[in-house]
Amino acid sequence: MNKKKFLVNLLTYLFLIVFTAIALYPIINVFTISLRPDDRLLSTSLSIIPENATFKQYVELFTNRPFLLWVWNSTLVSFVVTVTGVALASTAGYALSRFKFIGKEVSMLGILTTQMFPATMLLLPMYIMLIKLELINSYLGIIIVYSATALPFCIWQMKGYYDTIPFSLEESARIDGCTRWQAFYKIIFPLAAPALVITALFSFMTAWSEYIVAAQVLQDTDLYTLPLGLKSFQSNLTTEWGLYAAAALVVSIPVVILFIILSKWLVSGLTLGSVKG
Amino acid sequence: MIPAVKKSLLKIFLIPLFLFILVFTHCHSNIKENEIVIWHNMRPEEKDILQRQLNEFMKLHPGIKVIQLYKETEEMRSGYIVAAIGGEGPELIYGPSDQVGPFVEMEIIKPLNEVFHEEYFSSFNEDALIISDEKIWQLADKLGNHLTLVYNKKLLPVPPKTELELIEAGKKLTKDFNNDGRIDQYGLVWNYTEPYFFIPFLTGFGGWVLDSLNQPTLNTPAMIEGLKFIQDLRDKYKIIPGETDYDIADVLFKEGKAAMIINGDWSWSSYGNAGIDYGISTLPLITVTGHYATPMVAPKGYSINSNIDEKKLELVKQLLEFLLSPEKQLETSLEVKTFPSRKELYDNQQLLNDEILLNSKKQIEQGIALPIVTEMRAIWDAMRPAYQAVLGGFISPEKAAEQMQEDAVKKIREMREESENPVWGLIVQLMMLLVVLLTLFLTRKSIAAFFRNFKKNSFAYFLVLPALVIMITVVLYPFIYNIILSFSNMSLTHIHDWEITGFDQYIKVFTEPDFYEFFLKTLIWTFTNITFHVVIGVTLALLLNKRLPGTGIFRTLLILPWAVPQYIVALTWRGMFNYEYGAINLILVKFLSMSPVEWLKSPTEAFMAIIITNIWLGFPFMMIIALGALQSIPQDLYEAADIDGAKWFHKLKTITIPLIKPVMIPAITLGIIWTFNNINVVWLVSNAGEPSDKTHILVSFVYKAAFNLYRYGYAAAFSMVIFLILFAFGMTFLRKTRATESVY
Repeated sequence: MNKKKFLVNLLTYLFLIVFTAIALYPIINVFTISLRPDDRLLSTSLSIIPENATFKQYVELFTNRPFLLWVWNSTLVSFVVTVTGVALASTAGYALSRFKFIGKEVSMLGILTTQMFPATMLLLPMYIMLIKLELINSYLGIIIVYSATALPFCIWQMKGYYDTIPFSLEESARIDGCTRWQAFYKIIFPLAAPALVITALFSFMTAWSEYIVAAQVLQDTDLYTLPLGLKSFQSNLTTEWGLYAAAALVVSIPVVILFIILSKWLVSGLTLGSVKG
Repeated sequence: MIPAVKKSLLKIFLIPLFLFILVFTHCHSNIKENEIVIWHNMRPEEKDILQRQLNEFMKLHPGIKVIQLYKETEEMRSGYIVAAIGGEGPELIYGPSDQVGPFVEMEIIKPLNEVFHEEYFSSFNEDALIISDEKIWQLADKLGNHLTLVYNKKLLPVPPKTELELIEAGKKLTKDFNNDGRIDQYGLVWNYTEPYFFIPFLTGFGGWVLDSLNQPTLNTPAMIEGLKFIQDLRDKYKIIPGETDYDIADVLFKEGKAAMIINGDWSWSSYGNAGIDYGISTLPLITVTGHYATPMVAPKGYSINSNIDEKKLELVKQLLEFLLSPEKQLETSLEVKTFPSRKELYDNQQLLNDEILLNSKKQIEQGIALPIVTEMRAIWDAMRPAYQAVLGGFISPEKAAEQMQEDAVKKIREMREESENPVWGLIVQLMMLLVVLLTLFLTRKSIAAFFRNFKKNSFAYFLVLPALVIMITVVLYPFIYNIILSFSNMSLTHIHDWEITGFDQYIKVFTEPDFYEFFLKTLIWTFTNITFHVVIGVTLALLLNKRLPGTGIFRTLLILPWAVPQYIVALTWRGMFNYEYGAINLILVKFLSMSPVEWLKSPTEAFMAIIITNIWLGFPFMMIIALGALQSIPQDLYEAADIDGAKWFHKLKTITIPLIKPVMIPAITLGIIWTFNNINVVWLVSNAGEPSDKTHILVSFVYKAAFNLYRYGYAAAFSMVIFLILFAFGMTFLRKTRATESVY
């Protein structure tokens, strides 16, 4: 038995190592680009540390470019979108999972249909609408758009997760004297922690990496978010690849940190295991 | 109890509301009276000079603020069109002359004759005045954007004068130093797969792209000879690499592994920076015809937005006079080696003493101006597929020339197509009204019941409505706008005065022969991607969920493909698929002893390449979701199964899969929808559908064939069809999986 378990674990590690290597290789390439002294996207050599490797791109990024301003702007926008996403999706998902009401099926399908239209085609009318609402060049405009973009997935995902939590939990809570809101807020909400983590990550990423809408709506360079800033390193045929690569890696760090922090709740094991279904 | 509920409920909604207000009040910037905005597509060095000159201007005019904003050429064009149609946009737009064509037709720039006197124009080189319908629409400050022959002086002291010398020098300089069968140094490299870089050989054999009536002239002996010449360089003389794009060519020259490169004025300074001692020479004479290989020359300059505030016009005029003055132009020319547009600078000694500028000037004088008519866009799009098919060896040069011509004629006809049918227009409008009324009528009972039961269900509505309101606000107007547009004739010539014309656009979608091919490809694309995403994602999640020591690290590393910005990794993947230098072929050859694959050259392999890239990009997300889903499974179920002696496969089938289903189904449904419409990866890895516009899914096809040719009505109808396909899928899929219902 022990020998078999050892073998299984060995295979598990092997599989994980192979996949991690595949996942990392292209990113290591990006790292190599960021170390090259002369803005080259490609190279005929496969070595990871290029000739004349230098960190000057990273220094340039933080000293000569408004990179920190973009980080701050993006953090602000992403934070608001994340909070909005979690607040609205956790509640809406709960209602869709637990209650029967008129318009439920229509809303669920309606939510899904908002994702079905090719986004590039909606840009012109969306822009015209934002002009009419005087939301051009303001964060409010893009925050509303991003929230609307992130919500459909988040709501469906939350709904799916609530569906796996037995009704009996709320019933016993109600018997113990909780209101409907308290039963949700105190019992079910914490149990849905893994889904909340996914909702938060997804909302954050939606805002963190969106480019097309931001490029049309934000015209003031002081308002630039990270994707817009990164794009400014790029021009038609002469892109500052070194800077772009360096920035791309730095930009991923907050996402990874957020993931590490939230992982605690994603795989805490503190959820349904302790509650008999 | 009820007030307490309200209070805590309010709290959860008040936080975002508060944040909204905070953000709104702090970061809203109004468009100011004394502000001029310029959109441009200048390179970083040019941009720095512009900023310096703007600072000088602002010093001379206190209280005036001029803002320059960089945009990538294609995006600047589409972004400007959107903004200008919406009645907004920058005061000035700077870019290559060919954007003037569509802007004039759409009436979104102002004739400059209304702003400047005639004698002012006479001080410019004639090529710098971009004229259409006898009016001047753009005033160039730079001439150029032209290709020349750039050579590495260390490898080749004297540049070739004729095509024969070029071939001879190329043969001498193409070398395999270590005799391993791989070429280590090429005689000549350039981005020869792109039609713009082929033009010199079309002109060299005596051809041109269009005639004086703006009709394409692609099916000519010159075209055929030109195509054969490129083929010969590669296959007969073997002096150019078998597979090149812009970046590969650029790298080979920068690394000193190519003796010559054909590239434009924008690239030269980067070769100096890479430590190459380079020289510039005019492209060779083609001795067979007696013509020089001549590139296109495109002026770059400023146009004024037609939405400009009249009060700002005088200021904009002063700004342009300042930026276009001979002193400023000279300053720019000497620094970035571009060519000025003011006549008085042409005998300037400083310019004539610069070797690079002198040779560049020679090439410009030979060059032919890039046509500014909108037809050019159709011609480029028509040339590319057939040209690449010749290079891929799929069709003969004769056939390609024929195909290019046909395709160009077709695209131009489609672009200019008029469809006015007031009767159908009225019918469609009536039908829309009818549909709305019918829907209201059929749902009247539900609507009445909704209001009747609102109070009873108020808690549920209270929870759902905020989210719904936000989504409806954002989506409803664009959605309705698009439905209307899909029945209209909105296009290049009907930007402002479009009207409803019936079902023509839909008929065009379904009669488009490529529609069915790309629909099939989209299905394969979506199905393969999602299958791999889910299988890999769930497998990894299962392994990670065993919580062996160290899995935390794997978990974090495995999400990286999701965390790093897509743009650069997608391009990195493109590089990895390169035939000669890419990592993937190297692994295939060295470790798996397989023969290398021509990933980007033939349609099937290129399609596989985009799928592989997207699988890589997408699996971490499914992994995270599966990981979350696994937490919802009570451990005691497994314990009970263990007591029963169940095998792992049995447990997977009866416990794991059914219990993660509720969480996975929404992710899979949306994953399918997103993948179906995922244009980015296709666009980046296949370089907008290469080879030969075969590597497309429906969205990338509609973007290229409709949006790019300004056929907005058609594009809207196409999108509606995509929407309806997905809608039908969504309904069936959800009904089958019963995802709208609860499991308990």
